[in-house]
Amino acid sequence: MLFATLEHILTHISFSTISIVITIHLITLLVRELGGLRDSSEKGMIATFFCITGFLVSRWASSGHFPLSNLYESLIFLSWALYILHMIPKIQNSKNDLSTITTPSTILTQGFATSGLLTEMHQSTILVPALQSQWLMMHVSMMLLSYATLLCGSLLSAALLMIRFRKNLDFFSKKKKNVLLKTFFFNEIEYFYAKRSALKSTFFPLFPNYYKYQLIERLDSWSSRVISLGFTLLTIGILCGAVWANEAWGSYWNWDPKETWAFITWTIFAIYLHSRTNPNWKGTKSAFVASIGFLIIWICYFGINLLGIGLHSYGSFTLPI
Amino acid sequence: MPSPTCYLLLNPAASRSHHRPRLPLPAAAPPRRRVHVSCDAQRTGGGGGGGGVKREAIPAGAGKAKKQVVFFDAAPPVSQRGGGGEEEEGKGEGKVARRKKENAALGLVRRLTKRTLSLLSNLPLAISEMFAIAALMALGTVIDQGEAPSYYFEKFPEDNPAFGFITWRWILTPGFDHMFSSPVFLGLLALLAASLMACTYTTQIPIVKVARRWSFMHSAGSIRKQEFAESLPRASIQDLGVILMGYGYEVFTKGPSLYAFKGLAGRFAPIGVHIAMIFIMAGATLSATGSFKGSVDVPQGLNFVIGDVMKPKGVLSFAPDVFNTEVHVNRFYMEYYDSGEVSQFYSDLSLFDLDGKEVMRKTIKVNDPLRYGGVTIYQTDWGFSALQVKKNGEGPFNLAMAPLKLNGDKKLFGTLLPLENSGSSNVKGISMLARDLQSIVLYDQEGKFVGVRRPSSKLPIEIDGNEIVIEDAIGSTGLDLKTDPGIPIVYAGFGALMLTTCISYLSHSQIWALQDGSTVVIGGKTNRAKLEFSEEMNRLLDKVPELISVNENKIDSKQSAT
Repeated sequence: MLFATLEHILTHISFSTISIVITIHLITLLVRELGGLRDSSEKGMIATFFCITGFLVSRWASSGHFPLSNLYESLIFLSWALYILHMIPKIQNSKNDLSTITTPSTILTQGFATSGLLTEMHQSTILVPALQSQWLMMHVSMMLLSYATLLCGSLLSAALLMIRFRKNLDFFSKKKKNVLLKTFFFNEIEYFYAKRSALKSTFFPLFPNYYKYQLIERLDSWSSRVISLGFTLLTIGILCGAVWANEAWGSYWNWDPKETWAFITWTIFAIYLHSRTNPNWKGTKSAFVASIGFLIIWICYFGINLLGIGLHSYGSFTLPI
Repeated sequence: MPSPTCYLLLNPAASRSHHRPRLPLPAAAPPRRRVHVSCDAQRTGGGGGGGGVKREAIPAGAGKAKKQVVFFDAAPPVSQRGGGGEEEEGKGEGKVARRKKENAALGLVRRLTKRTLSLLSNLPLAISEMFAIAALMALGTVIDQGEAPSYYFEKFPEDNPAFGFITWRWILTPGFDHMFSSPVFLGLLALLAASLMACTYTTQIPIVKVARRWSFMHSAGSIRKQEFAESLPRASIQDLGVILMGYGYEVFTKGPSLYAFKGLAGRFAPIGVHIAMIFIMAGATLSATGSFKGSVDVPQGLNFVIGDVMKPKGVLSFAPDVFNTEVHVNRFYMEYYDSGEVSQFYSDLSLFDLDGKEVMRKTIKVNDPLRYGGVTIYQTDWGFSALQVKKNGEGPFNLAMAPLKLNGDKKLFGTLLPLENSGSSNVKGISMLARDLQSIVLYDQEGKFVGVRRPSSKLPIEIDGNEIVIEDAIGSTGLDLKTDPGIPIVYAGFGALMLTTCISYLSHSQIWALQDGSTVVIGGKTNRAKLEFSEEMNRLLDKVPELISVNENKIDSKQSAT
């Protein structure tokens, strides 16, 4: 009971903190002068991070197993993985656009986990015999970390596509354009100005707007870095799962729907990484592949559970009748 | 100097005289519309654009012979090399032509192989193969797999096709009812494996050869054309070399030129990724053709011979000697959570060889199989074999439990204890139902609920004037057995794949620098982490000390000394 209350408190603190953080983010996007607010949003993110970590630890302590046994816990873990992804560049102190992706993603996953799922599903469940293994921690945590990373990377690619074809979207034009670009690049303008010579080697058609080109370049580079990290994690996750399956089910590959879709995800991002080796496809075309990957991850992570088929149906939506 | 590799002869004047201007390679021409594309995981972006760089590694003839863009950081594909591969590079084309005349037939075969290789290593082909495989796999999860043909006749009828055209013919003819063993799918996988090998051979291995040759750049112009370029006035290339070494670069210097690189493993690792993939595919093929599988349901206390259970899966399945081993189920039991749900299944197994000697004994559970001489025994299932019952102090009788399939796939077992004489046609008795080995639900002759008893409690229950005691519940263990010769190969592939994908994240960075008077011109490029690289370079160049006039005098005095 104590743990339940603690978990309840922690989820609500983190949920409300992140709601404030997202508001601050929107304000700083529109009103650039409020530099102090951005600092406070960072502090809010750190507070939320500790809340989520505390939640996971208390779950672990109360249930006695790694808190990844059902959909709710895995969603919370996904949100935690997104925080980790948010924190890594902060620790390295390098500037990038990841936080614009990670912050909304965390609130969305967490908001969905907290309010979207039935309260019955919040309960920690007991482990069925097949899940009682040390591999659970390795396999599931790796898979969720890779989902988080790949989601971020493919969202960056989707953002690239949006900006690339923004000409056609009236919604974005004029008003937001300058704001967006200045938020990202005010500091770097001088630096890029010096690098203008690099423009000669562009394979994009020349943009009327030089900053737009730079933004796309950066997004492209970041999304490829993030996706290759996620791809590495996904590879490790799938292979750990295969070794575990050989221990538990007697075969390292069963063509179970979840396995198959994980493999499809892996293939799609392998295509992405290969398409980037061709300079003609780099940028828009590879970003398109990554955006397909975004949908595939959701099918793999959620769609299969929604159907509740196959051997991986542990966290499926079994509604009490 | 901190390292012998970093010897410097600071003599800019001399270097300028050594420098002979080179003709730009045809390869350096601006990229054309039709770019030869091959499956090259290494090739850095913007390669076509930055192509003003001269490198000794690329044979000048390679670009000239065929109208292709040769990327400056990638080796020319094998298809460019005409007849001889490595030999041809040095010996020129005349000799090759003569040899060809001598052995025209062999030449034709060679050319055909090369044609096939370059066709297979084509990147768009490889990508479309992957797309096709992904699509087929998705289709395999959408269509229900492994049903009887009548199921598909019913679900995809000819008179009412799905989406207007999909009938059962579309599914059964290409074998999509068993997608993952259908010839279409396996053929595509084989094609992908062929592409992998061709790509490794024609594109990746030549890259290694090029990347291993470190090369200096002797003109400031070509250095300035790099993706990252900077010039530091009043700096010394020595200082730069030391700082680069501090950042983990391998530094080579020769005269006024400097070459440094880092993360070379990141350039080689994709080869490992491809080889690991081939290992996994080979292992999986061996698994599919050379393994045995079997499953058996054994009541507690009985035994079976491994060979009787195992069924060969493919043409390469040869029965090993261990198949004579006899397995005895000493005990089967379950553990439960407080809520009553099963937490774990256990089977205590003993293995006896032909002489009846016990060779192994182990209690297996889910996630902890038994391995003996290549055979693995998994705990996968359970059943209810029999119920030991005492009736009015008589017995105990063994009542066989039958699995009942009522609602869903939840387990339910039942048995009947007849109460009337066997002569009568209308047999009535006490029905006993059980969901697990823990509790038995008893019903009387009319089918009315009487009570629940635990086998362990030995508590009698009175039904229709009979005193029933449930003595024991005998479970049966469901075991899966298999031998799989492919496992070691597949696991080797798994290990290699994990390792090499991790290493592939590393970025191969190269830096060139040239002392041009008192100015150092620095250029660099990297194949993956482009933004981090330029950040690192900026940080690094900030650390290069600016030489004030006293130092300049020192350099001057050094120059006069040499």
